[in-house]
Amino acid sequence: MAALCSEFGDLVQIKKQLISVISLCKERGLVHSVKWASELAFALDPLPKNELPPPAIFTEEDCQDLDAFGLAKSYFDLKEYDRAAYFLRGCRSQKAYFLYMYSRYLSGEKKKDDETVDSLGPLEKGQVRNEALRELRVELSKKHSAGELDGFALYLYGVVLRKLDLLKEAVDVFVEATHALPLHWGAWLELCNLITNIEMLKALSLPDCWIKDFFMAHMYTELQMIKEALQKYQSLIEAGFSKSTYIISQIAVAYHNIRDIDQALALFNELREQDPFRIENMDTFSNLLYVRSMKPELSYLAHNLVEIDKYRVETCCVIGNYYSLRSQHEKAALYFQRALKLNPRCLGAWTLMGHEYMEMKNTSAAIQAYRHAIEVNKRDYRAWYGLGQTYEILKMPFYCLYYYRKAHQLRPNDSRMLVALGESYEKLSQQVEAKKCYWRAYSVGDVERMALLKLAKLHEQLNESDDAAQCYIIYIQDIFSCGEQLEHAEVSTALRYLGQYYFKNKHYDEASLCAQRCCDYNDAREEGKALLRQISQVRDQTETSSTDLFGPLSSNNTPVRRVSPLDLSSFTP
Amino acid sequence: MASVHESLYFNPMMTNGVVHANVFGIKDWVTPYKISVLALLYEMTTSKPIALQERRRLNKLILPLQQGPDLTLGQFLKTVGECCPQTAYAVKLRLHEMADGELKDMEYFFATLPTPFRAIDSEAYKTSVVGLFMRHMLLAYNKLSFSQVYKLYKALQQYYHSQFAQPGVSPVGIPGLAADNTDMDLTSTEDTMGERMEKDELDTTPLHESDLSRGPLSQKQAEYFLARQAYLLKNDENKALKPAALQDELNNMLKFNPDFAEAHYLSYLNSMRVQDIFISTHSLLHYFDRLILSGSEGKSNGDEGYGRSLRYAALNLAALHCRFGHYQQADLALQEAIRIAQESNDHVCLQHCLSWLYTLEQMKGSDSSVLTEDSVKMAAHFCLPYLASLGIQSLVQQGAVQGKTAHELMDAMKETDILHWKHSLSELIDISLAQTTSIWRMYGKSTMAQQQAQLLLNMSSLEQVNFGVHQNNTEAFAVILCHLAELHAEQGLYGAVSEILKHLKDQFPPHTQHAKLWMLCDLKIQFDRAMNDGKYHLAEPHVTAIAALNKTEGLYRKALVLKALNRTTEAYSILQRLQLYCEKTKYTEMIIRVMLATAELHWESSGFATALPLLLQALSLARQHHLQALASETILHLAFTQLMLGVPDQALGVLHEAMEPVLAHGAVMDKGRALLLAARCQVTIAGAQVKTNPHEKSAQTLGEAAAYFSMLDCKERLRDVHYLQARLHHTLGQTAERNKCAMLFRLLDQELPAPGAAVAMRL
Repeated sequence: MAALCSEFGDLVQIKKQLISVISLCKERGLVHSVKWASELAFALDPLPKNELPPPAIFTEEDCQDLDAFGLAKSYFDLKEYDRAAYFLRGCRSQKAYFLYMYSRYLSGEKKKDDETVDSLGPLEKGQVRNEALRELRVELSKKHSAGELDGFALYLYGVVLRKLDLLKEAVDVFVEATHALPLHWGAWLELCNLITNIEMLKALSLPDCWIKDFFMAHMYTELQMIKEALQKYQSLIEAGFSKSTYIISQIAVAYHNIRDIDQALALFNELREQDPFRIENMDTFSNLLYVRSMKPELSYLAHNLVEIDKYRVETCCVIGNYYSLRSQHEKAALYFQRALKLNPRCLGAWTLMGHEYMEMKNTSAAIQAYRHAIEVNKRDYRAWYGLGQTYEILKMPFYCLYYYRKAHQLRPNDSRMLVALGESYEKLSQQVEAKKCYWRAYSVGDVERMALLKLAKLHEQLNESDDAAQCYIIYIQDIFSCGEQLEHAEVSTALRYLGQYYFKNKHYDEASLCAQRCCDYNDAREEGKALLRQISQVRDQTETSSTDLFGPLSSNNTPVRRVSPLDLSSFTP
Repeated sequence: MASVHESLYFNPMMTNGVVHANVFGIKDWVTPYKISVLALLYEMTTSKPIALQERRRLNKLILPLQQGPDLTLGQFLKTVGECCPQTAYAVKLRLHEMADGELKDMEYFFATLPTPFRAIDSEAYKTSVVGLFMRHMLLAYNKLSFSQVYKLYKALQQYYHSQFAQPGVSPVGIPGLAADNTDMDLTSTEDTMGERMEKDELDTTPLHESDLSRGPLSQKQAEYFLARQAYLLKNDENKALKPAALQDELNNMLKFNPDFAEAHYLSYLNSMRVQDIFISTHSLLHYFDRLILSGSEGKSNGDEGYGRSLRYAALNLAALHCRFGHYQQADLALQEAIRIAQESNDHVCLQHCLSWLYTLEQMKGSDSSVLTEDSVKMAAHFCLPYLASLGIQSLVQQGAVQGKTAHELMDAMKETDILHWKHSLSELIDISLAQTTSIWRMYGKSTMAQQQAQLLLNMSSLEQVNFGVHQNNTEAFAVILCHLAELHAEQGLYGAVSEILKHLKDQFPPHTQHAKLWMLCDLKIQFDRAMNDGKYHLAEPHVTAIAALNKTEGLYRKALVLKALNRTTEAYSILQRLQLYCEKTKYTEMIIRVMLATAELHWESSGFATALPLLLQALSLARQHHLQALASETILHLAFTQLMLGVPDQALGVLHEAMEPVLAHGAVMDKGRALLLAARCQVTIAGAQVKTNPHEKSAQTLGEAAAYFSMLDCKERLRDVHYLQARLHHTLGQTAERNKCAMLFRLLDQELPAPGAAVAMRL
């Protein structure tokens, strides 16, 4: 923490660095990195005039290439990449060289995209590839081994390698690029996409720079290590980036991932206040609104985004969610399809579309959509879970086990998968496995607070009354301690069972307490009263028969119980 | 991986959320290779007369070229050149014209192709194989847009120049490839050609398999590839691609077209080969996920819609767990399949489920005959001959084990055979023959068993011979060959045995499903040999191996070894345990064998009287189950016991009963032992009498026995025989013979390590 503070101590220095890197990236047409750096720079206090960093030094070569570079850059901005590359071919400055290679790369990418539309056959579509990549790789690797590449060129080299599926080499080159030019966020982001697990992350030797903290935080979010990510972001905020919309959005997404809906919603609202025309991450926001069924807010968001730009993936997803919430599932599916048309790489849309088809009872289409989602990303646990649900709806509990297991593998600590697994096992009358699942679901922190209830009912079925009572007790404690008003029907079942249980075991005090509580609920009132009557009856009998002998004894020495007494007095429902 | 997929996520042909597997409705498209094939066809239809033989060879080449994956130009020209160098040159010339010319040359080429609709009398008529191909190609070509045509032309140029950039690779033809084609008739019309083609597929396989991993296959090519590999997997696994190579190929195919569901199924089959439960489950489920999509158009949960594939998906999952021996899982999956099938009234599927159910019960080791009978009845009712006779076969098997009368079993077999031939269920015919063989063997009729085995091996299968492969890697074949090996071993023909086993090893490599059969058979034979030779230390390691494959058998053999090593107490306790176990599982054959072994143990402690009731019990069991071989074996034991108890007359009488079947069907070893025993009885009866007649007779019997033993090279017993012979000759006063026998005895006695069990004390 101390190291972090000292690093971030000089915010002015950071601001200076950002401003200079913005101009560097701008010259080279790296628009996304420019955007990121500018957002961050905007979050910091403006510099006084004398503190502004001097413009980059002009070398002799830069001077020579100035005209050609200016011309090429204008062509580049107009997306005439081949033309730009043509005028840059003789230039020798690093800047011009990067733009030269970059335009060749982009030209190849553009042609590839165009080509996919009219390839010779459907199967050949997978074959279409950027023809320029190989040449670029050869040239860049030559320069690379000669050590002539600067940070930007290294980044480009890494991108080329990644596109050629040479992932290991790409990682090495990106690491080198971050060392050469730590401030270039694009290189970090590319690196982020290539790292698949925490061991891999730990094995890398990264430059010690303030930007590394941003990277680590981002990485933790990607690897679903939300706690660590939140910690990182928090310390970044404390260090002075509190106004950064980037960090706010990242934290919001992180909260979304751990399903802390209230926090996430609050952050997103803040984000929209600060940056009302922002479209990024709004799909996540709409997911949250959807989960909370906040119709007016979602509707407002959807209309607002349509006004800003209706042909954005995020907008389509928001509208899809909006229609889904209004139960217009056909329209919702249509909008998710549109999102996919706009960006086929959009992972969430396939899964969401699957959900829509599920709502429409079109199971086969749902399976199709989920399968697509899995094809895009094998680690998409929601799609696996969705497939499991589909088969569960088709009444194939054994079949869906496989899918739930897959989902569980991907999210070992998510109670929903475990509860689903438990339900399937229960349907297959595999009570032992079901019990294990429910207990585990409770242990990892049950989101829906259903696992314990189900476990208790299972114990009840199996006549394991002690275990059942234990579960009900924890369940009730759980429900009341979380303070939220959940559906009461289940609490009353628990109380009813507990009352009977204590009654059978002759713990009349606890039984009567439970019975009284039962009376608070409509559906259990009658039974509660009946139980109270029974208790008083039994008490009268015992008192008449054994007052003199056991009266004083029984009041003092209550027998040792397995079940802890139910202390309901501390909370009021 | 990811970058390859990027362009595939979106499918413009999506309707109602369902993407059709074939996006553009085209199964084939034009590639430079296809242009070369077209050029070849063009040359063949238009050009000057080609020599008849060359023409025939070219005709045979057409189908593989059309269906196979794309070849490089060099390979293509080489293949063609091998058939007809002149045509190959012409094709090359035509391609050269196009590649070194301009775009219009290619356009001109397509314009001049004989249109199948016009050319009525040529081979390229629209209904012929060639015509169909040409129509496909012309249609595909005409659909191309401007830029696509240009791209195709570029690709053609590249295709041509990648081959002829380096000089010297000109198609050198080898005229007169082989003379074996001459027996074919000369009228080669297009239709018959197709079938003949398939037969010759085998010769052209290297042509396909050498470069499978290049480029994407068109739908047609992919279908052909999958069909071929699946067929090979089913019928002759060794000819299919190696598991790893096949998986690579499938992955490649799926990379370019993830919607190609059949590839997932093949991947499932392939990973079953290597016992990979993970991938096989994954692929199976993936296949059915995809299948559910394609079968769903406009149909709801009905008979034909995806409800059907759901049921079969669950059923297949059950089958998969069965294969891996996860009985509980299989049971659950099966219950699920049954439940959904019941809900949708799918009787056919229910029947399949039922037949799996009894199979599962059998595998679990419980009695399932009631289920099987039900299954047979219902299957017959719903006209499912395959399932019905499968059920009957299963019943026959159970019946045979439970001791149903032979004629009942044979009648049932006969009736199912009629059914098989009527519906040409060749697979079941094979099984039926194998089953008959097994039953005959169980009854101890080795000649009949041998005859049935030969019948199966020499029968030409009813099934079409595709891809030059006969169906010969089924379980039936493995069983038959194992029986043959054991039968030969019984007759002491160990050379033949090793040849059969070698064949088995080639045909069923150790990792395959049925390999355990021959492994067990091999071990048993080796064990028996070692025991007969008295090399118990050699037999011992086999016991562990046998136990790994079959627990009961392993335990029994262990007892045998212990008995031979005189560790009586241990052997006895094992035998007791085994008997209890076998009585529980109703494994009659083993029960009898265990009883015999126990009786032998009693002999060793001279408890001949205690052995008698055991043997009688064994005899009645054997007779009840018609196990002739075991019955005769028991009689031998009985006779020996009686001999030892001092009633040689009775012994000889009993022995005569068994002599005939032993000599007719028994193993060489048994024959020798029976004869030896007979001689000993005769000698004892003759006893002190100095009559020559009976003694000479017994000397003769002994000679025969010696012949049998020497056939097996069974020295210990040979020694016993020589000893008896010497004694006999001594009694008869034939000194020269006596001395000769005595010398033989001496020689063997020196050679053998320790004096084994006393001569008198063993059978």
